[in-house]
Amino acid sequence: MTIENVSRRKFIKQSGMAVGGLWLGIALPNVAMAKIGLATEAVFNPNAFIHIATNGDTLIYCGRCEMGQGISTALPSAVADELEADWSRVSIKQADGNEELYGPQATGGSASIRVMYIPMREAGAAAKAMLIAAAAKKWQVSAKDCYADSHFVINRTDNSKLSYGELASLAADMPVPENVELKAKADYKFIGKDLARHNQGDIVNGKLTYGVDTKMPGLKYAAVVHCPVFEGKLKSLDKTAALAMKGVEAVVEIPRMEVPFGSIGGVGVVADNTWTAQQAIKKLVIEWDLGPNKNYDTKAYKAQLVKNVESPAEKAAERGDIEQAFANAKHKISATYTGGHLSHSPMEPNASVVWVQENSCEVWAATQSPADIQKVLAQYLGREPKDILVHVTMAGGAFGRKFKCDYVQEAAALSKAVNAPVQLTWSREEDTRTGYYHSINAQHIEAAIDEEGNVTAWLHRAAFMPIASLFNGQVDRAPATSLSDIFNHPFGIQNVRTETGEAKRHTRIGWYRAVYAIFYGFAFGTFADEMANKVGKDTLTLLNNIYDNNKDPKQAIQVRRSKGALALAAEKSKWFSRDKLPENQGIGIAVHYSFETYVAMAVLVEVNGDDIKVLEVDCAVDCGQVLNVDSATAQMEGAVVMATALSLRTEIVFRDGAVVNSNFHNYPVLRINEMPKVRAHFIDNGDKPTGLGEPGLGPFPAALSNAVFAASGKRYRDLPFKPSTV
Amino acid sequence: MAQTVNINGKSYEIDVDGSMPLLWFLRDKLELTGTKFGCGMAVCGACTVHLDGQATRSCVIPVSVVAGKSITTIEGLSENHDHPLQKAWLKNKVPQCGYCQAGQIMNAASFLSQNPTPTPEEIDTAMQGNICRCGTYQRIKVAISEAALELGKEV
Repeated sequence: MTIENVSRRKFIKQSGMAVGGLWLGIALPNVAMAKIGLATEAVFNPNAFIHIATNGDTLIYCGRCEMGQGISTALPSAVADELEADWSRVSIKQADGNEELYGPQATGGSASIRVMYIPMREAGAAAKAMLIAAAAKKWQVSAKDCYADSHFVINRTDNSKLSYGELASLAADMPVPENVELKAKADYKFIGKDLARHNQGDIVNGKLTYGVDTKMPGLKYAAVVHCPVFEGKLKSLDKTAALAMKGVEAVVEIPRMEVPFGSIGGVGVVADNTWTAQQAIKKLVIEWDLGPNKNYDTKAYKAQLVKNVESPAEKAAERGDIEQAFANAKHKISATYTGGHLSHSPMEPNASVVWVQENSCEVWAATQSPADIQKVLAQYLGREPKDILVHVTMAGGAFGRKFKCDYVQEAAALSKAVNAPVQLTWSREEDTRTGYYHSINAQHIEAAIDEEGNVTAWLHRAAFMPIASLFNGQVDRAPATSLSDIFNHPFGIQNVRTETGEAKRHTRIGWYRAVYAIFYGFAFGTFADEMANKVGKDTLTLLNNIYDNNKDPKQAIQVRRSKGALALAAEKSKWFSRDKLPENQGIGIAVHYSFETYVAMAVLVEVNGDDIKVLEVDCAVDCGQVLNVDSATAQMEGAVVMATALSLRTEIVFRDGAVVNSNFHNYPVLRINEMPKVRAHFIDNGDKPTGLGEPGLGPFPAALSNAVFAASGKRYRDLPFKPSTV
Repeated sequence: MAQTVNINGKSYEIDVDGSMPLLWFLRDKLELTGTKFGCGMAVCGACTVHLDGQATRSCVIPVSVVAGKSITTIEGLSENHDHPLQKAWLKNKVPQCGYCQAGQIMNAASFLSQNPTPTPEEIDTAMQGNICRCGTYQRIKVAISEAALELGKEV
């Protein structure tokens, strides 16, 4: 990590940032970036900036994208804690897309806190040290005689004070300390507390602007319709009726852009307001050449995936001798689990404003990855990425969807066509029908259990369209690396084989919050419960036994923390008093490790006939040091809400190549009357902090399946349990 | 003479095709963007405003229908952003992404004006039409209950 005093650097002046005061840039080492797949060249690429103005106003630029996860509060609060800042003097600005200035900004994989926590704290500590050095110089005392508190440096010898504003310019002339000391946990003021989100005031006033809210003089509004089948093309288009509508300016063909984050191909309408554009879309007479995926049918496809995992598939990895272990087994048990496609469906549909001019291209977008917008638009327009200026707006939810910038590229195509700034807002129908989907999947597990109840062998076959298929259409099954989370699962089983079954691509697959952890967590957690029932143990005992059988020193930490999370979930819930529950209630437990975080959940349900009601969920979380307890709790509440819907009923269904669902009436996400009581419990072990945006989804579906089984004896092995009719 | 509509206490001429939904008149013509587009078919509640004090889904109501009537949007709910619901929302740190929250607050405000002492079940029923994909429902319930108590004190 490098912290550089950039107060006098040229780009400060060029970038329109305020001049004067103290500017610090924070750059992560390339090793850390390479670890998360975001290596950059060996140049100074700050990931964040801190500015202390001469009036004391403190501005922190957040390079990571905000979509409701709270990162733009959490990371700056870590800076402010070390800086001994007065939080009321701190404001936060979402940085524009600029890799040269901010380094990689792609926000996903629950990585922001994992990667940025220590660098942000060190930057705050460095700034504080420079302010103290400046004060010491002014007072002609030793830095040891000074300390910082709430935006002031205080002289211990005479209790005189200098404000950060008074010191900022002088501090800019101080060297950046080579080593900084970070605060002890007992001294944290903001870290681990429950600071409110910095922007929540603007949210409840309706002032916060999202991707759909950008306004500017001369702005035109657009809507789009896509070919309903992936890889289909436009055959014919009659735009007469649409063009005859008052307010319609242009009807524009948007060809499919053959890059993973480019447009799927469709037709756009530009008008003087969004509604007219949406109405004109309905007047288009379009014939599509549906192409190679026109027969894609998820019901048939899922049945085929089940066949592909219930018979030998391609070996991915192996250890020990599973045949021998099965031959010696006391019990053999097997089960097959499936899951359907899912749509991210954030409340804010895909939206951006793009203005393509002869010598410039400016973008205002809700996005998780401004650098990808720069790359895709540069390729589309035949320009350099640095010439695409991307302003990152607040995203009204994203969940992985806004990592992919097809909607921005479409807005660019429309702007180019009408030579004006264009705001393209996708309809909910287009968002639902032509998205990037969580993959349909099937898994088959066979296990051998010995006389003492130890699991001795594990055969795990998985078949799903992997993320890799988005980048290469020839990929016809998950690569072995996509099954490594199965092979490396911290269960202590000596004989393991993983196999990957055929799953040819028929649609666009894209990261959906928690990605593979959704179905891996479901299979591991549900199968554990099934094994426990088979051998007559309770699930917690069986899980502890499996973890205790893991003697691999490299997995000792995973074993300890998985067990710790399980124990806490059991203790905080009604697990140990489950015998006293009413007859129609049941409690299920599961734990899953993903994105370097451990989450165990105990789910209490009531089952009446076919009706499943989730009553209470206790989430036990080990994400190391928690940055913001309130925000972390919110992530658990959100994970439970999303996971309840995808466990019980939501599924994207394809027939004749196209998605059948269209809007929230037939993609029924969870509503308030179904909200269970969610409690989050954190294991405060002081370990390095890890992310929480995704890991809450892993354990829930299994814990729910186990709870329903406990309540009713009915086992659900397919996600969703009871698909809604479309 | 052109028809007008009163929005947040100000009169506006309806200078668009009368079949345009109120939502788009607010967002694209008046640039009042606090009211959000979510579904376009009155199933998500993100576009909720008050029509003569009643919660209404602005994405399906033609602007011609509101001629001569009074509309309140999130921008006009309170003078100093201090409606008890707004305060309760902040105290309970309800928002995550925040996109649906204007609709949630507007729906809750209309509900509390008709039912100042709701039970949790009544809150559930009243708020069922407002989707939050981030999952803030638990906090919404608490915030509405607290705001109801606060409103009770004001009377």
